[in-house]
Amino acid sequence: MLYRTDVRRNLSVLGRAPLSRRRLLVGSLALPMTLLGCSRRRSSEQQGVDLFIASDGDFLAFRPDELTCRTGAVVHLTFHHAGKFLSARHNWVLVYPDQMEAVDKDAEKTEGVISTDDPRVLAVVPMCDKGETMMTEFIAPAPGEYPFFCSTPGHAVDMNGILHVTE
Amino acid sequence: MKSTKKILAILALITFVLALAVPILAAQLKSPDEVKTALRLLVQVSNDFKRQITNKNFARVPHEYMEYTEAADALRTSIKNEPADFKNRVETRLKTAVAAYQKISDMSSSATDPDKLMAEHAKAVTAMNAVFDLFPADFRPDPNLPPPGRGRGQRS
Repeated sequence: MLYRTDVRRNLSVLGRAPLSRRRLLVGSLALPMTLLGCSRRRSSEQQGVDLFIASDGDFLAFRPDELTCRTGAVVHLTFHHAGKFLSARHNWVLVYPDQMEAVDKDAEKTEGVISTDDPRVLAVVPMCDKGETMMTEFIAPAPGEYPFFCSTPGHAVDMNGILHVTE
Repeated sequence: MKSTKKILAILALITFVLALAVPILAAQLKSPDEVKTALRLLVQVSNDFKRQITNKNFARVPHEYMEYTEAADALRTSIKNEPADFKNRVETRLKTAVAAYQKISDMSSSATDPDKLMAEHAKAVTAMNAVFDLFPADFRPDPNLPPPGRGRGQRS
């Protein structure tokens, strides 16, 4: 008995008014839209690409210094700091064309730390100490050539490369 | 007269042999790749010093000094199995070089004039080159060569 009473109360709280046309419309579209969303996500995953990049040991260079992926692909990028001797930290920053110098200069003020909110920046792997490996994920932008670099102050001059995004 | 000439000839021969001895010894280094890497790291960090000074990024200079000591340790490790005489020669000159870079680091805390620091850097490079002289020519990194990275000129 008590259980039934409680159920009735809950129903009254939720409201028993007849469904409006708008609610019916939204309700009838919810399932197909959800399925559509799932199918889109699945197609992105099919275009997923795994990229691997590392520092050239302790030297200020990336190996490889050129990467390629297709536009719209979900890129899983892994960066490894392959240094053994020096305590220099490295990261991987992908920016829009012609933005490297400006972003690098601004990063000097923050010891190389890059804000992920920066509109000039497409993707960032956080700073790594020697031997560390970190990942980032991003959607490959429109076709073009996108520079990447290490934002530790003074490193970008030598430690940079290009992401080729193809059709 | 004859004996004087003989003595001079012997001395010249000894000098010649000694001059050859160091490079020959170095050419037979037990870990040549490690030595080459360590020497290149010393040049890389030295160039980083220069870059930070030129950019007036003086706060980064002590960090470069720390890296220089790490590169120096890498060189020590790379020659740890070499004869004591050779190690001692390297150590003596390496200490001088490290001290020269430490002087730049110390000066950077109150520096406002990049030219003064660059003058000290030039002295430190001379001290570093004295270390390189103990190794055969093909082991010595060319400070004028671009680093292995793409460099600014190749960026898009």
